[in-house]
Amino acid sequence: MAMATSSSYPPPPPYYRLYKDYEKDPSSAPEPPPPIDGSYQLFGATYTTDVVLPSLEDQGVRQLYPKSPDIDFKKELRTLNRELQLHILELADILVERPSQYARRVEDISLIFKNLHHLLNSLRPHQARATLIHMLESQIQRRKQAIEDIKQ
Amino acid sequence: MDIISQLQEQLNEMAMLAVNTFGTLQRDAPPVRLSNNYPDPLNPAAAAAANPNPDDPTAQPQPQPGAAPAQAQGQATQAQPAQAPPALDLDEHPKAMSHALVLAAKKFDALVAALPLSSEEDQLKRIKELQAENGVVGLELQKQLEAAELELNQVEALFNEATDNCINLKKPD
Repeated sequence: MAMATSSSYPPPPPYYRLYKDYEKDPSSAPEPPPPIDGSYQLFGATYTTDVVLPSLEDQGVRQLYPKSPDIDFKKELRTLNRELQLHILELADILVERPSQYARRVEDISLIFKNLHHLLNSLRPHQARATLIHMLESQIQRRKQAIEDIKQ
Repeated sequence: MDIISQLQEQLNEMAMLAVNTFGTLQRDAPPVRLSNNYPDPLNPAAAAAANPNPDDPTAQPQPQPGAAPAQAQGQATQAQPAQAPPALDLDEHPKAMSHALVLAAKKFDALVAALPLSSEEDQLKRIKELQAENGVVGLELQKQLEAAELELNQVEALFNEATDNCINLKKPD
């Protein structure tokens, strides 16, 4: 039983032998590997280093708002909000009249929620740029203040 | 919290309100009459009074015509308070919950209106402008810093000279 628990983990990789003379001669040991670019495997799953929000079609979800390079976010968000309210009312009605047909309505409501969340996530790059603008402005402000302080 | 996170939280809140509304209504819904063959679960007292049951002491109209209506009334008023709390909940709960839902939707709309949105090119242009201005201001700051350091060195040298003179002039008399 003790043998089984002690041999259940794999041994550490044998790279440690390459660093035997590291203290005396740092260049004798290999350089650290360069950062990975593109896609890589981790614990059996594939990941990618390209950080981009996957579109709704990639996730298999129908896109309810019109696809175009420039989306009027406020209008689309408000439209989807109204649709959501209508669907909730529809669900309440159908529970009163035909309770067995709730599934379709619940699916519609979850579809609307997914679209809403996707819209909000696609606003994040805009927020990142706005944060950058704010940081640059505050940095310029601080530098000007420092110049004034030095002049005095 | 930034406005996009607030919007996301508001969405989650709306989902929670909807789920709670339907869940509460389903849980507190009274039983429904399925067919006329079964007794009506909503008002069993009326069904018992209408039932011609000779063993039931409260349903005997002939011997005490005056007392029977009074007793039936007492029983009805007794049954009424037991039914009154569920009746209240059935009325107030949906109103309160739908009110909360509508308020949450209005808050979402207000947050959407407060979104400071601008196009991507405007943002990129502004970033380029700010970067150029930052460079210029940085150069000027560096110049000022160098001038100030020069001045500091000069002042330090003069101060050293003055102190040396002071020390040298002070001969013990």
